[in-house]
Amino acid sequence: MQKGAGRVLVTLRCALACGCLVEAMCDGLTAYSADAELGRYLSTECMTCHGASKADSTIPNIFGLGETHFVGVIRAYRDKTLPNPVMQTIASRLKDEEIAALALYFQTAKKPK
Amino acid sequence: MTEITRRSFSLLAGASLGTLCTPLFAPSVLGQAKPRLVVIGGGPGGATVARYVAKESAGAVDVTLIEPLKNFTTCFFSNLYVGGFRDIKSLRHNYDKVRKGGINVVPVMASSVDRDKKLVWLAGGSRVPYDRLVIAPGIDLKWDSVPGYSEAAAQIMPHAWKPGAQTELLVKKLNALKDGDLIVMVTPPNPFRCPPGPYERASMFAHVLKKKGYKKSKIIIIDPKPAFSKQAVFMEGWEKHYPGMIEWQDPKMHGGIKGVDPKTGEVKTDLSTYKAKLANVIPAQMAGKIARDAGLADQSGFCPIDPESMKSKIDANIFVVGDAAIPGDMPKSAFSANSQAKVAAMIIRAELTKSRAFPARYSNTCWSLIAPDDDIKIGASYEPGEGKIKQSTGFVSQKGEAADIRKQNYKESVDWYNGIVADIFG
Repeated sequence: MQKGAGRVLVTLRCALACGCLVEAMCDGLTAYSADAELGRYLSTECMTCHGASKADSTIPNIFGLGETHFVGVIRAYRDKTLPNPVMQTIASRLKDEEIAALALYFQTAKKPK
Repeated sequence: MTEITRRSFSLLAGASLGTLCTPLFAPSVLGQAKPRLVVIGGGPGGATVARYVAKESAGAVDVTLIEPLKNFTTCFFSNLYVGGFRDIKSLRHNYDKVRKGGINVVPVMASSVDRDKKLVWLAGGSRVPYDRLVIAPGIDLKWDSVPGYSEAAAQIMPHAWKPGAQTELLVKKLNALKDGDLIVMVTPPNPFRCPPGPYERASMFAHVLKKKGYKKSKIIIIDPKPAFSKQAVFMEGWEKHYPGMIEWQDPKMHGGIKGVDPKTGEVKTDLSTYKAKLANVIPAQMAGKIARDAGLADQSGFCPIDPESMKSKIDANIFVVGDAAIPGDMPKSAFSANSQAKVAAMIIRAELTKSRAFPARYSNTCWSLIAPDDDIKIGASYEPGEGKIKQSTGFVSQKGEAADIRKQNYKESVDWYNGIVADIFG
């Protein structure tokens, strides 16, 4: 990672699980130095579908999502233990550090108005 | 002659270009206050680049979007208007939020590009200087690719492959059909905008006819290709929802498209002549004129790009995104254009503001409605590889899928539409 990239240490905890499945996916503590700038760039891919999500959308709102929850869900899509081929395809190429960077970004990002 | 800058644009908003007669020269690149990005075309590719550069550079780049249309009608989802699932107004989007994002929206047609002087000339004689230029004009139609077809013929045999009046004309003709009337579609050769689009459109035609209780009407698709996107699931759906109504003919079946006659409504193939009450002729395609005139297209009629950046292979100061580009394995779609635009925006910012650059990555998904609550999809991820944008992984709907999956697909597609138009237009 480059100097000045807004690196933040993110500890991926599994306390806020979105279900047993996701909890199992991130069993054990893993630490990554999440790259905020990378997360912001990668998030542009998510914006195509998630930028206008509402409460009843099939495409969920991911802004403000807790990092642990986010990491668990994306890993579950990557491992194909959660259904939906669109998300499985998106997640399939994400490395752990990229998922951590995205989680860091979306944890504080505000949905566009 | 007038040179449009951020300062002069506020004048332009309230005055015709002809009233601006004093040349206003922007400072040269060296020592100028802000680097200048100019974008030609306010569709899914162009508007997305403009918005992302403006937002991410936080005012450090002077962004101008040249788009003559006051309201942009999306081609994507226009088949749902054909099928009666949406109103045409729901496909129209204005540039109010684009402007609020700090972008100079110039509501004039760009007429040419002077690559040596790095200027865009506008209709009316004004000019806009740039440091980086994005060209996203979409497609033009090769009228003569179907003998007998022309721009005038399109008023009788609509293509409806550019959104707006053509789509409304197609729907008007569809709604006027009587039971027993024949629809003939002539579909385009590869590459073309929205690969599953013609076959979704045939589905929507059939849905409208079925809803009216028509039993005798048929839809014949004359295809120059031996296969098409999502073919297996489309054909399964046609047999399920519209048995015997849609007949797809590949070149082996029709022997070649000989031509159309708008006066008689005839569509002629090597083996048959069909008298269509509604002929939907979608000709071959090429990059929009301004890109071709600027010398950015190759012999294919489309513009080669560097897969790492979406930068033109012909001019390093110009990026081509969307349907006008040669996108390697990516289909020409709004999703693709939006995805490519984000890579271009990231590289443009890096070049103009020294911001950080990241490896390019792309994605696409296309949803197609066959019948109410029966929606199929295809999608993939892409990365630079082998000198092109190369598919790295992907999926496609399968035959025999459960009804709830297809219903969920449709809901997902509607939510996607809301998401992508918000991403493009704000």
